[in-house]
Amino acid sequence: MEFEMTKPVPETQPWSERFWEGTKQGKLLIQVCKDCKSKIFYPRKFCPECWSGNLDWIEASGKATVLTFSTAYSMVEPKFMDELPYTIAYVDLEEGIRMMTRIVDCKPEDISFDMNVEVLFHERNGYFLPYFRPAGKK
Amino acid sequence: MSKGKIAIIGIGEVPTRNMPERTHWDIIYDTCMEAVRDSGLHKNDIEGVISVTPQAQPKIAAELSFGKLPEELGLKGCKDAVSVNAGGASTSNAIRLAEEWVTTGVAKAVIVQHVTIHSTIPLMDQINFFAKAGIDLQWEYPFGPTYNIIMGLMANRYMHESGCKPEEMASVVTALRSWATKDPNSFFYGKDVPSVEKVLASDMLNTPLHKRESNVLGDGGCAMIIVSARDAKKMKRPAAYKLGDSVRYFSGTCVMRDFSKVEEGFRVTAKEALAQAGITKEDVSLWNCYLAYPLAHPLIAEWLEVAPPGQGGKYFLEGRMSFGGNIPWSTIGDAPGRGHTGSGVSSACYVETARQLMGKAGERQVKNCKYVYQNAGGGSGFNNIATIWGKEIK
Repeated sequence: MEFEMTKPVPETQPWSERFWEGTKQGKLLIQVCKDCKSKIFYPRKFCPECWSGNLDWIEASGKATVLTFSTAYSMVEPKFMDELPYTIAYVDLEEGIRMMTRIVDCKPEDISFDMNVEVLFHERNGYFLPYFRPAGKK
Repeated sequence: MSKGKIAIIGIGEVPTRNMPERTHWDIIYDTCMEAVRDSGLHKNDIEGVISVTPQAQPKIAAELSFGKLPEELGLKGCKDAVSVNAGGASTSNAIRLAEEWVTTGVAKAVIVQHVTIHSTIPLMDQINFFAKAGIDLQWEYPFGPTYNIIMGLMANRYMHESGCKPEEMASVVTALRSWATKDPNSFFYGKDVPSVEKVLASDMLNTPLHKRESNVLGDGGCAMIIVSARDAKKMKRPAAYKLGDSVRYFSGTCVMRDFSKVEEGFRVTAKEALAQAGITKEDVSLWNCYLAYPLAHPLIAEWLEVAPPGQGGKYFLEGRMSFGGNIPWSTIGDAPGRGHTGSGVSSACYVETARQLMGKAGERQVKNCKYVYQNAGGGSGFNNIATIWGKEIK
């Protein structure tokens, strides 16, 4: 039996392409509504608060805290097996946005709740996924 | 809607097992015929057919949604047939649609059924389906999450905030399996109940989830007959009357799910459903919670105010929710005890709710079972539907 081993890239929408273009330049962009001033994540075609189409982008600081995390040791898709163990987390950006991500550049046992992390970008087939690592770690 | 207008008056079910020799239609015949016979009705009295859509089984899903069931079973009085899909919340919505049909005169008696056969789905198709269903393909899937990991994220934060210990979490499996071992329809019927130590000794899949805290996929099916509450009373047969129904939507994408909103949703829906039924939580004889994973049970016990804040895990460890404990809870053992039949776990839970209120639960029968809280949630947890069912209607 052969498994699909190609690692997935984001299935984008026309209105989210700017976000992924930003990651190629090392920028974490957040969509904003110019009418009601909402910060929007994930990017939408229209503002989910006021349905305005008057949308723009700001660059996030890339600083966040870990809300929660789970480290995988097995039972993931075959295409991700070679990366085990890895840690999936929800992080809260300074700008009030919550994202799913990976925590990297540290041992799983060194990850803690509410720890400060910062963004870095992991390349996969032309896309740059926003991962996070402990703040201040180069 | 939902204030004593309908009742379940017949149930049918097959054991949850991995038995690839049983076809989908084998199971549909067995469950539907048993449910009709249990109701005391004739097959031609069934005027509506509602199927809970099987997940990852496109052939049977298409046959059911294209109306084959009434023809196959010779339901000559059938006026309409349909399939409903809201993941794990499908059964709740199938029952709501049955309520609509019964109260508006579309159908006097409706059969709601579900069937799933996991054992014949090629492994690769299973992996492909469960890896992506309910996981956002742009903002989540590329990072490599699984359902187990999504549950781990919630459980880890809960344990951090509440101080709930791993042995308390593990004791949920012991509690659920203590019911399952007494349930002839369970995958684990007659099997040893794993101790807390055994659960914790099993492999760590992803923190804090051990292998014995995850689910085993199984094949299964069940059916129920729904009529108006007025007709059920006239029939003078054991019945389960629907007394309350409340729902809140959370989010379609896992990471967008605000934990506090989920907590509030569970609290509010329970209160609204209890208020509709005209009872309080002290009147509830059985908390028949459907959550799919054991790790969510302590949280929900607290949110439903069955356990004090921070004490959900302790209550399970003390055996209060186990068979023989003082808080009857998930008496088929939820998905970890029954075996996971996809959207069918919630169908099985509703059938169990009816079985308990009808007094047909055998060794697992809850004494003086008068009112049951039955919840269901769809997808990876996009909503919570709370319902209250009663043995009688005033």
